Amino acid sequence: MLRYTARRLLLMSITVIGMVTVVFFLLRAIPGDPASYMLGDYATEESVAALKAELGLDRPVWEQYLGFVKRALTGDLGTSVVTGQPAFDEVLESIPWSAALSVSGIIIAVLAGVPLGVMSAVRHGTFADLFVMLGALIGISFPVFWVGLVCILLLAHEVRLFPALGASSSQDFFTQVHHLMLPALVLGFSVAAYIARLTRSAMLEVLGQDFVRVARAMGVPERRIVYRLALRNALIPVLAVIGVTFAWSLGSAILVEAVFSRPGLGSMILKAVFARDYQLVQAGVFVLASAVVLVNTSLDIVYGWVDPRVSVS
Amino acid sequence: MSAEVLPDTTADTVPRARIVRRILGRYLRHPGLSLGLFVLVLLSFVAIAAPWLAPHGPTEADLMNTLAHPSGEYLLGTDQYGRDILSRLIWGARISLEVALAVVALSLTFGSAIGAIAGYAGGWVERIMMVCNDILLAFPGFLLALALVAARGSSLENVILAVSIAYTPRVAAVMRSVVITIRPRPFIEASRAIGMSSSRVLLRHVLPNALPPVIVVTTVSAATAILAEAGLSFLGLGVQPPTATWGNIISDGQGFITSNPLISLSAGLCIAVTVIALNLLGDGLRDTLDPQMRRYTGERML
Repeated sequence: MLRYTARRLLLMSITVIGMVTVVFFLLRAIPGDPASYMLGDYATEESVAALKAELGLDRPVWEQYLGFVKRALTGDLGTSVVTGQPAFDEVLESIPWSAALSVSGIIIAVLAGVPLGVMSAVRHGTFADLFVMLGALIGISFPVFWVGLVCILLLAHEVRLFPALGASSSQDFFTQVHHLMLPALVLGFSVAAYIARLTRSAMLEVLGQDFVRVARAMGVPERRIVYRLALRNALIPVLAVIGVTFAWSLGSAILVEAVFSRPGLGSMILKAVFARDYQLVQAGVFVLASAVVLVNTSLDIVYGWVDPRVSVS
Repeated sequence: MSAEVLPDTTADTVPRARIVRRILGRYLRHPGLSLGLFVLVLLSFVAIAAPWLAPHGPTEADLMNTLAHPSGEYLLGTDQYGRDILSRLIWGARISLEVALAVVALSLTFGSAIGAIAGYAGGWVERIMMVCNDILLAFPGFLLALALVAARGSSLENVILAVSIAYTPRVAAVMRSVVITIRPRPFIEASRAIGMSSSRVLLRHVLPNALPPVIVVTTVSAATAILAEAGLSFLGLGVQPPTATWGNIISDGQGFITSNPLISLSAGLCIAVTVIALNLLGDGLRDTLDPQMRRYTGERML
């Protein structure tokens, strides 16, 4: 078990270093001279040279890279060319907004997706199954930003149930929650659709296994089979599913934030892209991707504890 | 080669045409698969015939009729520049299908090559290739595509390239997990024993046997690619206006969502219909090609 945990942690550090590498080459992927591109058409030669020196673009690539990795691992992700603030601080400021949206979206998705998936696997082939699967198909097929727009149209303009903006300047907790509800529901809906589909297929696989057939043959009541035998065994793939959908939901959250004009990491990255503030883009992308790796590694370790079979293989 | 050695037992008993018909029948009887295929064929026709089908040019502005409601002249109304929505939707189908097709071609080629080589080679080669693959997989796909487009600039080619780079590792991961289950099978060992070269075994025996799950995955990745392109265009980072793409149309209509909801709604429906069709096709292929493959696809694709 300890060995397994250590392995996961080692793998995580390798992945994080790899991600730093990808992020490093992201800025170098800008065609031509990144420094003059970032500063725009009216930049003076001195300012371009200064930025070049700051980015280290005047030194050999391997030297730039080593410096970048060293600084990134100590939390120094450069400075924003627009505000002059350290990029990492800007990222930290928007994390609570993103965390609130992602966490509430995932909670909604798990609460809706897992029971629906289990139900449609248990009632495999019935109308209930068909109905849930059609709903899930719609959920994964409609663009999340479009669902957001439609919800704004219906639930904020027609029926004034929720505010159209996904954030408010008010410090009041309940106002904030009220503003968060619609974006979280929209994000939760699309993630729930994935979770329901994957839970269903995980559950179906377990229900088709021999030990379930033996239990049935022995006359174990169906309820007991589903909840005590099958669900327990299906929980591990479902946990894995939640880990994978987390990464996916962070991508969707960018679009949800844009539709609801809600601050957050996604909005920050977008704003930085349009301002050509690439060090901020790098920092945002790095932090978002690190969050994914962190969550997935913790989930891996959790199901190593839950299911001894995982850590052995 | 194998046909000369082994007697073709099927040829004597059942005529070939009937076998083909039986196999085709199995696919076409699957309601989701045939519906998805039908919609996609229809959409491809619309995309190819866009210049003849569209009643107006996609960027033709009628400044006397801006934000018009549906009428005989403009069946779905016009946008803020007086451009016909229906015509823009028809032309938008081209971009979406082009992106889907190109991403499928690129990610299928590179993804299956990377996955097959890694899975077949095993050992250190596999380990290193898969660590690199896992690093790319760790990024949310849409975020990686967005960052790449942001760096390389917004154009159709860059969108295709960025989305392909983001989704190739997913195909590669699936390919590898299939190949490592094929590698220990006796017929591979036999091919090696009779002295076939590695590349020949890989191309003639491993790849064809590993393809079905990968085809399912690429169908799903076509759907994801369309959604990603629409998302990027919606954010203003994809194909640049005035080119008609479904994502652009939604973003154009966003400001007029209360007065002219049809602009955004219709484009969103177009995206959804296409993506539903691709997902139905993918689900159908997964059910009919090989029920065993459920394990590989699905969760890896997000």
